[in-house]
Amino acid sequence: MIPSKKIELFCGTGGVGKTTLATSRAYSLAKSGKKVLLITIDPARRLKQILGIKDDNAGEVSTLTGEDFQFENGQLDALLMNPKTTLKRMAKLSQEGSSLDNPIVNILTKPYGGMNEIMAIIEVQHHLKTGGYDTIILDTPPGKHFIDFLQSSQKINQFFDKSFVDIFKYFGKRFSKSKEEQKSGFLSLIVKSGIKKLLSYLEKVTGESFVDEFIDAISGLYLNRSSFTEALVFQEDLKKADYSNWFLVTSVDQRKAHEATDLQQNAENFMHKDSFLVVNRSLTPYLENWQPDASHKGLVHLHSSMKARENTIKDMGAKRLNQYKEVLYFPEVLDIEPMTHVKNLASSWK
Amino acid sequence: MPLKSKDATTNFLSLPFILSKKTRLIMVTGKGGVGKTTLAMAITKALQEEGKKVLYNSFDQPLNQTLASKIDLPHFNLEMDSSARSYIAKKLGSETIAKWILKTPFFSSLFNMLPGLGHMILLGHIINKLEEDSELTIVLDSPSSGHAITMMESPRNFKEMFRTGLIVDDINRMERFIFEDERMNIVVTSLPTAMATQEAHELKEQLASRGVPHFSLVLNDLLSLSPSLKEASPGDLPEFIKTKCLHEERLLSELSDEEWKHIPHFAHERSPAIIKECQHLLTKGAPL
Repeated sequence: MIPSKKIELFCGTGGVGKTTLATSRAYSLAKSGKKVLLITIDPARRLKQILGIKDDNAGEVSTLTGEDFQFENGQLDALLMNPKTTLKRMAKLSQEGSSLDNPIVNILTKPYGGMNEIMAIIEVQHHLKTGGYDTIILDTPPGKHFIDFLQSSQKINQFFDKSFVDIFKYFGKRFSKSKEEQKSGFLSLIVKSGIKKLLSYLEKVTGESFVDEFIDAISGLYLNRSSFTEALVFQEDLKKADYSNWFLVTSVDQRKAHEATDLQQNAENFMHKDSFLVVNRSLTPYLENWQPDASHKGLVHLHSSMKARENTIKDMGAKRLNQYKEVLYFPEVLDIEPMTHVKNLASSWK
Repeated sequence: MPLKSKDATTNFLSLPFILSKKTRLIMVTGKGGVGKTTLAMAITKALQEEGKKVLYNSFDQPLNQTLASKIDLPHFNLEMDSSARSYIAKKLGSETIAKWILKTPFFSSLFNMLPGLGHMILLGHIINKLEEDSELTIVLDSPSSGHAITMMESPRNFKEMFRTGLIVDDINRMERFIFEDERMNIVVTSLPTAMATQEAHELKEQLASRGVPHFSLVLNDLLSLSPSLKEASPGDLPEFIKTKCLHEERLLSELSDEEWKHIPHFAHERSPAIIKECQHLLTKGAPL
């Protein structure tokens, strides 16, 4: 079996079976005696169907106790990301709890409010620190949003960029404790002079109350910035081969080879030598045992188009082989029960 | 045909299922890899074939240029940055100020923090286009399901946030167009597995709870309905195909025929050939 690391990431375009594969990996590690946490931030929330988790406990870690999850030594915990719960915990930890009680922060941390990715980084960081897990497996959001996820740490940096913060210092809201205010120099003067004009334009478009509340929201987030900046450590750790495994998942039944390639190119900056290309729903073992009668034109056609799909993806794997430690093929599981998929795939990890 | 007990030809997807007389905007959504782009392009081509003035738009994702030119797809592009700039410029009456505003860290942060804001501006442009030309229909290839919800939820969120001002006026106009005038239909696409259709149902309910008035549910890539299997008897088929067909049939018997329409699996390697077959299905109501 591929040696496990502290963090394992499953990435890929949507609909490739990423969540099921991540679950199967978690399952097989737990079976081998590890204490594993599986986090999913996939908005489609397939995990809850597979693992029997309910929406009520989203945001909370639950240890799986069903009969399928009785392990001799290992343990499998699961967590559905809920940005609101993460935020609540952040506020509790900092002394500035009430500063996050703001209508805009509230909207932003709705499940589809747009802060999922940033909050996920903070969540992972938290469980790394406190959970005592051997491995945390992260099922990342699909496609383009996975890149957003990886780059969210840069967003955090940009967000707390000094010149940006200066803008808000100008309003003097809740920044009075800051020492830096005393040394407000030439730069902030320039920023200040432009700000009044900017705001008068902004208010025309957005309404007055928004500007006030937005400033409050930003101030609140700023006062809690240590949670955000600490999460940046996570991104650095991801780049270390002794710390993480990367699994790039793609599926044979998708006509999206070019999209998968794009994703890989984008992810190159983040990946290291322990990266694996995972090809899901491979029909190769089935196709090898099937040779349709030449008189059945339809079947010959079907057979060759299925084979062609397999080969497209194999070519892609071969071309980029130097980038990966290994290309892993998982045969399509012909069953309708999600748990059977998990168990079946888990046996392929060995 | 021994593979299917029901009469399979009666429930194929065709254009009337996707649009009513009122429909001007069709958004194709669903999980990744269900064939949204193929279907959105086929719908565009089929409407064009029927003599409608129609344009395809890939929304916030880059257009597949090669494919679009291969099938001679009528389309237009929108770019997020320039759309935002022209939106603000229009509102303030100055291109220079708009440029300046978007360069400030305040606005670049606002855009990063609120991904729905960019989507809403794009949607606003699309609705403008439709209001300017009453003959036009637009087919939108949307981002994957979760983010389609972000988009449909955005107007409400931003209204709650902004309360007054020019953006709120525009949101009201957009909501009227989509929700009250019933100009929009969302096509939720799914692969034929129990888990995927369950997700599609969830997505539909979530979108409905946000006020979207019209839906079409589409089951794509059905192997048991594939024209390639038409002449075959079960004895000719390998076990894995029989199993797949069996699962599909079990699923079909559980889904309502009024609610779900079907697209067969088209055994082609290249997208243009698949789009062509799908276009035929949409206009003629049966595969080639």
